[in-house]
Amino acid sequence: MIASDLLDVPVLDADGTHVGFVVDLRLVLDGPPDGPLARPRLHGLVVSPRSRSSFLGFERSAVRAPWPVAHLVRRRHRGTFLVHWSDVASVPTPGEAADPRQEAAVVLARGMTRYDARL
Amino acid sequence: MKKLLAVALGILTAIGGFLDIGDLVTNAVVGSRFGLSLAWVVVVGVVGICVFAHMSGKVAAVSGRATFEIIRERLGPRAAGANLVASLAVTVLTLVAEVGGIALALQLASSVDHRLWVPVAALAVWLVLWRVKFEVMENVTGLLGLALVGFAVAVFLLGPDWGALLDQALTPQVPAAEGQATYWYYAIALFGAAMTPYEVFFFSSGGVEERWSVKDLATSRLNVLVGFPLGGLLSISIAACAAIVLLPGGVQVDALSQLLLPVAQAGGKLLVALIIVGIVAATFGAALETALSTGYTLAQYLGWSWGKFRRPVQAARFHVAMIVALVVAVGVLMTNVDPVAVTEYSVVFSAVALPLTYLPVLVVANDPEYMGEHVNGRAMNLLGTVYLVILVVASVAAIPLMIVTRAGA
Repeated sequence: MIASDLLDVPVLDADGTHVGFVVDLRLVLDGPPDGPLARPRLHGLVVSPRSRSSFLGFERSAVRAPWPVAHLVRRRHRGTFLVHWSDVASVPTPGEAADPRQEAAVVLARGMTRYDARL
Repeated sequence: MKKLLAVALGILTAIGGFLDIGDLVTNAVVGSRFGLSLAWVVVVGVVGICVFAHMSGKVAAVSGRATFEIIRERLGPRAAGANLVASLAVTVLTLVAEVGGIALALQLASSVDHRLWVPVAALAVWLVLWRVKFEVMENVTGLLGLALVGFAVAVFLLGPDWGALLDQALTPQVPAAEGQATYWYYAIALFGAAMTPYEVFFFSSGGVEERWSVKDLATSRLNVLVGFPLGGLLSISIAACAAIVLLPGGVQVDALSQLLLPVAQAGGKLLVALIIVGIVAATFGAALETALSTGYTLAQYLGWSWGKFRRPVQAARFHVAMIVALVVAVGVLMTNVDPVAVTEYSVVFSAVALPLTYLPVLVVANDPEYMGEHVNGRAMNLLGTVYLVILVVASVAAIPLMIVTRAGA
């Protein structure tokens, strides 16, 4: 599986309700050394309710300039949350769509927690 | 002393490199129809390109990343891909116009039909891209392009009514013979000519080619802030030549040769010869820059190794992309399209595509992860945001105005 299999994919909760799109992946570097960095591990998915567009880096609360752009991007992505990888029930299998008419989706586990996605 | 020379050289090449076929044609057309009543747009465009080039140059110097690498990183593959298609289309269209411009200028010098010159011009461009070092290429075309100072000389020799010219420029009015929509259509064309996207791809990638670092920021700022405004002054003098000679005679510019009428009247054969040298150098230089820009954007998006600082064998796909772009340009010109008409469309589509590249550069210039302590200050951001609004308005208005005015007819 590669990052592109997850990015831009719609997200459903356990009841099949649409909750947003995967706009980013959060990785942590806590694995054993692998080249110059520690091996990354997938920590969770950033899910934005309305938009597949990029956050342009404004997910970091310290980045606020230029103000009008920051404001518009944050507004477009309001309600964005982070789900831990352990709260993901299923992901689309590459090249194997269950129903060709339906778009592949990430399905979240029942009782999953929505974390604040800001950095 | 050596440093002073380097700075002077940078400024001179920036002046000579500012003008391309888009500036030449659009300013002459506008001058012959609107006098100097659109000169203010050149000023707005020059300040805009200063802001844009300054930011992208700073990003290149501090982070070592060129514009399209940033676009790919910040927008993600899908949005950046759409951006690439639009930017590449405009850049190739501009390349077609520039190669056509070289051919037209050589036709003026030789009376040999421009269609015969097109393959020769394209081959010459390719040879330079393949063999000549980046700095040499930049400096030679930039310095020879300075011959276009002849347009400013011509304005003085024509001995115009300065008061009337100044009046046209400072209290702009739509001429009685032209409609409001046409006026604004040409305003956008002139704006697009001053701020073509390829200039920024080229400028930022050139910064990486020349291995700029934070130390070079001051020099790069000086080149932009002095060179581009002086280039803009040459733009206005082209419009002034047309306004003095062609506007009263009711001559509308639709061929490159008409640019030379006021020059011939003012300074005779010698000045005409000088201007032709200038036009060949300016269009040749811009053809190199646009061809390189097609390679830069494609390679930076797809992660290929790129740059003239590498030998062609180490950046093979980059060089192939430029060859393909040149072959496309020759092919388009061989269909017998009028290069002047291509130019007029290319500047308008430049204005349409500009926000796509401007926004990511503005965002990254504010990103401490890329820029560290060199993020934009408040004043720069105010100016940058004002221009973002101008660019978006021009971009949205361009196509409707093109339809309403039937491309400025």
